[in-house]
Amino acid sequence: MKSIYLALVSLASIAALQGCASDAADQQLEQAEAVLQAVSSDPQILGDAPVDVERAQDSIERARRFAGYWGSAQDVEHYAYLSRRYSEIARQHSEALRNRERVTRLSMEHERLRQAVQDAKSIALHPSAWPEDQLISLAAAETDRGMVMTLGDVLFAAGSAEPRASASPTLIKLARFLRLNPQRRIRIEGYTDNRGDADVNLALSQARAQAVADFIHSLGVDAGRLEAVGYGEQYRVAENASARGRAQNRRVEILLSDEAGRLASPR
Amino acid sequence: MNKLICTLLLAAATGGCASDPAPNEQLRLTEQAMVQARSVGASEQTPELAMAEQKLQAAIVALKDEDHRAARLLAEQAELDARLAEAKILNAKSELELAEITRRIARLRDQLGALQ
Repeated sequence: MKSIYLALVSLASIAALQGCASDAADQQLEQAEAVLQAVSSDPQILGDAPVDVERAQDSIERARRFAGYWGSAQDVEHYAYLSRRYSEIARQHSEALRNRERVTRLSMEHERLRQAVQDAKSIALHPSAWPEDQLISLAAAETDRGMVMTLGDVLFAAGSAEPRASASPTLIKLARFLRLNPQRRIRIEGYTDNRGDADVNLALSQARAQAVADFIHSLGVDAGRLEAVGYGEQYRVAENASARGRAQNRRVEILLSDEAGRLASPR
Repeated sequence: MNKLICTLLLAAATGGCASDPAPNEQLRLTEQAMVQARSVGASEQTPELAMAEQKLQAAIVALKDEDHRAARLLAEQAELDARLAEAKILNAKSELELAEITRRIARLRDQLGALQ
């Protein structure tokens, strides 16, 4: 009789222990769910670390499945733990990625500033440096409207206003020239071919000219020295009948002022 | 006959444990994750890596005791502890780089301001 009593007591205490353990497990499951919820409702993290978030989800689902069984508290805790770890890893990955992107952007700004400081120093030392013939290295052509540089169509992605990276060396050179010649001004003119809607083309040509102006401004040239205008399909330089001619018509022209800052009047 | 029944019963009782295979592959993954974390600069000072190390040792003990299930759970947790240690170290590095480039930009802006 006594032994039966003992056995009952020990059974009861095992049951009680199990009960406690599964309370703790439920709590950990809830915590892991909260962490996962925070991570997966952040579109940034979701985009940066989709695999880690997915694994956190898989693990939480396993934990939930085990939570339905008696005596599987250890498994619930285990998978809740793994889920939490995956969520934390996702957050760390995402933050590191953001930081590295910011570093890349700032490195470009750093390089521009370094160049600007160098230029400012050389102006201070040799005020008459950078003579007229520097213009020639910018591949500018003399026209009846003054010196004109042409940025070809390949320097922009089709339909996009953003200059490609391959346009940068030319624009950086131009910005440098403008920083060293503070009297000079430029007018940036966008042109398209005649395909598609004329209004869309006009808007695209304006957006491209403005994007070039913004880029040069970001390189330390005062916005007041930059004009941006779009002419759309007007003033073609070649026939629109051939693909080659259309490519020539899609362009951005940059008109340079004379030394005194005088620009030919707009078209 | 009695002997046979005993053997069968014993086999059934230990069956639960014996059915878990030794988690050798998981242990290899865990060790790999720890090597990776150390290679980016995590050390015993990194709390998550210290946890991973403790759990790995416990897993090895469990493996010797033929408690394969415990060994697997410990090794799985240790792997993720090590991966988190690695991710945290890399994140901390990226923060330092960001602070450094920001500081250098501020210095150049000061220089430029003084020159103009």
